[in-house]
Amino acid sequence: MNASLTSAIIPMAVFLPLAGALIAVPLGRISENARTIGLAIICGVTALCSLLVLPGVLDGTVYEIYLIRLTPQIWVHLSVDSLGALFGATVAVLWLLALIYSAGYMAGGHRLGRYYSFFMLCLSWTMGVAYAGNLLTFLIFYELFSILTYPLVVHEETPAALAAGTKYIMYILIGGSLVLVAIVFTFFVAGDQTLTPGGFLSADMDPTHLLLIFWLFIVGFGVKAAIMPLHGWVPDAHPAAPAPFSAVLSGVMVAAGSFGIMRVVFQGFGVDLLRDMGVMPYLAGVAAFTVIFAAILAVNQDNIKRRLAYSTISQMGYVTLGIGLLGNQAAMGALVHITNHAFMKGTLFLCAGLLIKRAGMHNVSEMRGAARRMPVTMAAFSLAALGMIGTPPLSGFISKWYLGLGILEVNEPLYLIVLLGGALLAAIYLLPIVYAAYFKEPPALKSFDESTDGREAPATMLVPTIVASAMTLFLGIACAMPGLPVSLARMATETFFR
Amino acid sequence: MEEGAHHIAQHPLPALLVLWPLLCALFVRPLGRWREDVRNAFVAVATGVTLLGATALIPLVGAEHRIASSIPALIGRLNFTVDSYGMLFAVFAAFMWFAATLHSLDYMEHEHARDRYHITSLVVLSAMLGVVLAGDLITLYLFFEILGLVAFLFVIHTETDKAKQAAIKYFWMTVLGGFALIGGIFLTYALGGDGTIGPLPMDQGTEVLRWVTFVLLLFGFGVKAGMLPVHVWLPDAHPVAPAPGSALLSGVMIKAGAYGIFRTVSALFRPEVAEHVEEILWQQTANFGLVVLWIGIATMFIGVTLALGQHNSKRMLAYHSVSQMGFILCGIGAAGYLGDHGAMGVAGGLLHVVNHALFKGLLFLGVGAVVFRTGELDMYKLGGLWRRMPLTFVFMLIAAAGITGVPLFNGFVSKSLIHHALEEAHEVHHLLSLDIAEKIFTVTTGGTACSFIKLIGFTFLGKPKREYGPEITDAPKRMLAAMGLVAIPIVVLGIRPHIVLKGVFAPALHTWGLHSDLLDYYLKKYFLSPGDIMAVVVAFAIGATIFVVGMKYGLFHLHPPKWFGVDYWYRRFALGFVSTCGTITSLYEGYLASVSRAVRWITLQHKSGWSRTERRWRRFILTITTGAPGPRNQHFLQRAYITLERERQTTVRNAITMLDEWMRSQPDFDAARRAAAVEAVRDIAHYMATRLFSQRMGVLKDLVATDEIDVLRDGFDEAVEQVKAFRTTVAHTALELAERRLAGENVLREISARVNNILSEERFDVRLRGSALGLRAALTTMQRMSAQAEYRLDSRMRDASVGMHDALHGTEARIHRVGAQAEYRLESRIRQTAFSLHEAEERLERRLRDATASLRTTVPKVQHLGTGTREALPHAALFAEMQVWGLGRLEQAASWLYPDAPKVVATRQRIQRYARDMSFNLAIIVVVMLFFLLSIAVRIPS
Repeated sequence: MNASLTSAIIPMAVFLPLAGALIAVPLGRISENARTIGLAIICGVTALCSLLVLPGVLDGTVYEIYLIRLTPQIWVHLSVDSLGALFGATVAVLWLLALIYSAGYMAGGHRLGRYYSFFMLCLSWTMGVAYAGNLLTFLIFYELFSILTYPLVVHEETPAALAAGTKYIMYILIGGSLVLVAIVFTFFVAGDQTLTPGGFLSADMDPTHLLLIFWLFIVGFGVKAAIMPLHGWVPDAHPAAPAPFSAVLSGVMVAAGSFGIMRVVFQGFGVDLLRDMGVMPYLAGVAAFTVIFAAILAVNQDNIKRRLAYSTISQMGYVTLGIGLLGNQAAMGALVHITNHAFMKGTLFLCAGLLIKRAGMHNVSEMRGAARRMPVTMAAFSLAALGMIGTPPLSGFISKWYLGLGILEVNEPLYLIVLLGGALLAAIYLLPIVYAAYFKEPPALKSFDESTDGREAPATMLVPTIVASAMTLFLGIACAMPGLPVSLARMATETFFR
Repeated sequence: MEEGAHHIAQHPLPALLVLWPLLCALFVRPLGRWREDVRNAFVAVATGVTLLGATALIPLVGAEHRIASSIPALIGRLNFTVDSYGMLFAVFAAFMWFAATLHSLDYMEHEHARDRYHITSLVVLSAMLGVVLAGDLITLYLFFEILGLVAFLFVIHTETDKAKQAAIKYFWMTVLGGFALIGGIFLTYALGGDGTIGPLPMDQGTEVLRWVTFVLLLFGFGVKAGMLPVHVWLPDAHPVAPAPGSALLSGVMIKAGAYGIFRTVSALFRPEVAEHVEEILWQQTANFGLVVLWIGIATMFIGVTLALGQHNSKRMLAYHSVSQMGFILCGIGAAGYLGDHGAMGVAGGLLHVVNHALFKGLLFLGVGAVVFRTGELDMYKLGGLWRRMPLTFVFMLIAAAGITGVPLFNGFVSKSLIHHALEEAHEVHHLLSLDIAEKIFTVTTGGTACSFIKLIGFTFLGKPKREYGPEITDAPKRMLAAMGLVAIPIVVLGIRPHIVLKGVFAPALHTWGLHSDLLDYYLKKYFLSPGDIMAVVVAFAIGATIFVVGMKYGLFHLHPPKWFGVDYWYRRFALGFVSTCGTITSLYEGYLASVSRAVRWITLQHKSGWSRTERRWRRFILTITTGAPGPRNQHFLQRAYITLERERQTTVRNAITMLDEWMRSQPDFDAARRAAAVEAVRDIAHYMATRLFSQRMGVLKDLVATDEIDVLRDGFDEAVEQVKAFRTTVAHTALELAERRLAGENVLREISARVNNILSEERFDVRLRGSALGLRAALTTMQRMSAQAEYRLDSRMRDASVGMHDALHGTEARIHRVGAQAEYRLESRIRQTAFSLHEAEERLERRLRDATASLRTTVPKVQHLGTGTREALPHAALFAEMQVWGLGRLEQAASWLYPDAPKVVATRQRIQRYARDMSFNLAIIVVVMLFFLLSIAVRIPS
């Protein structure tokens, strides 16, 4: 791909959705279908752009685009390396699926213009996060999408949703401020802040400063990445938000925190410096605790979306663990797991949405015999659930495999217990749902909404769910194909661990 | 790599063999929907083709020793490598599958979800072949997991309660086994492995790590193999599946576990394959082998003991599967213990794998045929069926002969091989434990014999039961064909074991660097030797004894207590684990709830305190922005000056107005006189008012100087209001004295006297202070009352919220207690509770509103209680209001307090406040910017 084309494609991937946000309301005035089609086209083009950069990135190119000069030193600067390209592609594809799903799920809902506008806005800023080339650019996009997510969290405007929204915004603002402080501090210490594989901080700086910066970043991003005990907003925000948004919230927005940690750890500090500082074992320890404890909390949650939210916390713990181990394979596993988890958890939330919307099943205890009414939905759910546990050949296995190899690479075999224990707990909290849906007698008294009768949803909702679920299978079986997460992640980690 | 000198030939067949059934599985559902018979033919052909493909491996492997192929999938590629062992497993698996499929065509007639059964069967076949043909550990794990998880559908197929329970148990054991297995595979990497199925380097990893790896792999595979103590799922799961499914589960699928254990002991934990290997290097293999051997011995003995107590013939066969897996493990263990001399162990163990597949498959198919005709599984309720089902009887007899080890049937060969391996193992170090193991082995063969005397005797022999008349005929043709197909190799292998021993094991042993000449030795010296035949006779003697004794004393109907089995403890442990998770969750949520309750309590407790602080803070800000106390006095005095000055002018104007009015009633006054009168009145009134003004100002200044500004401010307006009354006095005085003045009198003294009178009457200072003090008192009462009311309101709110919370908490606890059984009632109750909570909330809100209203109504009451002047009270109320509603209304209050200069003051204050807010924000921004710029500036030189 030639340079001029790329220089158009990358800003387009970031800023095109803004146009979608602008036209969402006027198009909606014309008709719902017009809006759906218009936004889907914009989202599709964004996804296409994000996929088009992959071949170039695979050749080892890093695309740099300078947008605005803030100060003589600092630019708003986009840069697409393999790490960002992978995250960007994940974001765009999952968003497209969730958008199409929204058309069915949100139909007849209130204030759709607001919903779609903010949905597209968030896509734009999240793409910005993925492609940010320096810390300040990262922060700008990160804060924008964190804050603009609020209207989506409280979209239902129920008291529960409003309370969850308040909690969300409190957590996120505090986390964001810490990141801001960390970035100002970093600038003070290092001056430059372009993200480079070796890191721009070096060991000859004041160790206290470095330590402070590190923990400020970890705590700041940790709020978003749901590292325990900073996870408080996650179990409330997910059940309150509309299902398609829960899917992206869980799939990529929480992962944006982990992505931020990765950027800072591998491209801000650099592997060697962190080894010298000796802080990563603590991060790994906290992550291990998160994996296990969140999974234990998930086991007894009856509300299905809440259970899935705890699952997200646990799975994001895997990502943080992978980062914290500071090994090539482990980092690769973490990176791959972001993408794999996005589609698996996306599927699970989309299925949960279908169950809620079509059959009014909010709780696990109501789901007995659900597969008789909604076989396709439950098949997708089962596939994703098995993937989440790490059953081969599904995508969850791939990430667990690399994480496992990473654990052994850094010679910490005890973390295998965490890896497998978390997966076992995932089996304990997910598989009973599948079992109940397939093999338990449906309750006799359950009355369904007359308009839906608890039957399978229309194609607008079903197709994205199936596609997301098929991704779980595809990313597992074909994981060695170039252009898929494993190859990109390998490229990225090889630059970090040179 | 492990192949040593041998070259691995590439050939696509192994991969095709795995993919073919998977591909076929896709067509089952559409065909089944279209026509059942076509579907049946299709699955038979599909498995038949698989069998042909597997047999086609034989010449290939014979020529090349090892062939490999790979599919690009998963991590890198899925590799398949076939050596003679793998080929043996693949061939018998495909063979059994073909036979079972043939049998199922009729058997499944009375089952539902036939398409599902056939899809499951084909997928599991593919997985089974994948396991035994796998060339590396990932591929092995992949297919092992698929095998375990998909076979779940076999177990749960009938969907009866029993099947569901068994399936759940099966499933969790499989999942746990899978995790143990992947853990073990990960650890092989820690031991320096590269994922291939070949010897791990001897020099990496600690001893502990090796043992952990070994145990994880052993249990990972052992769960599937029905190994003790993780066999508990097997006796439940195998009987509930449809008979052909049971045959596959028991005959073939558990062999995947055995295969895995075999590879673990004999391929992973062994020294490199070489011509001469130091004895000492085999030490580790010997240790692990001994463990497996003893697990095998325990499994075979306990399995057979439990089998003797069963009524249900399928369940009995399932326990025998456990027992027979013990034989296999024993052989594999002995092979490991013997190191490179373990040929007999390997051959015995693996041959028994094949043999067991054949006879156990046949037994299940036969029992299936009986069930198909009679619908009865309890062997004590059957009898004399040999007349009705002669062919089935013959096949069952052959199978029983095989499993009990009757000479000329296949079991005889493998059992005696294992027996010899055991004896040989004893020879090496003369371990006493191996001697004991050998004795247990003999007793177990006796127990097996007894079991099958029971099964055949009760089912086919004995008195025919009346329930089963001539309508019971022999099994359908396809079933018989399937059984006959399986019966043939049982006999053939019994008579000519050389085919397998020489054809398969000798080259395989050679490939893996073991001495294969031992097999020749066995065939020459021991095969059908009188010694071995005697061993069988002994076994049957023991068996017959057990049977007679058992029947006589009813030993077969004894049931151990529940807690005796490991099953019970596993269940306890699993349930305990889940409830521990529940406890942790409720502890965590209780912690969250208590934190929020504490926060709410503190908020309520200190709400008044907080607002007081807030008021003080605002007053502080106000002081900063509008000036310190000194200028405040000045302010007050200025304002007072304006007020009093206006009062003075009004007083004068008042006098003149009064004069005008009076003069209008006196028409006889001419203009000159009028002017003079006005002049006079003005002079006098002016003089008086000025005196009053200066006196009042003096009083104010004195009082301000004594620093009672707050009191004064409160009382001032009141006092001013009161002294307005003296305007009239002044006016009257002026009018009266003007007349006298016009008359030419000097009234100066009189005026002074009158002014002094007024002054002494009005006592401005007293008034000022009095009204202020009255206000004070009223205010104090008011405050006390409002504080009381507020406190009462607070405590009531707190009580209510605590109560609400407790109610919520109690409900939560109840939810946990009642559990899944009362889900529906609970749900409605939750809804009710939520509703009543909502109601309570509403009621609380209403009460709150009432309380606020009553607080409002207390204000008028306070008015009556106040001791101050009546006029002071509205001010008190207003002031209290101002306190309650905060300083948000300060402007209003201020404008009210200073009615003469309201707008200006309010606007100025608003501007000041705005400027203050803005300036704080600006200051913060400037500080941040400075910091930022500083950081840039600091960096620029470097």
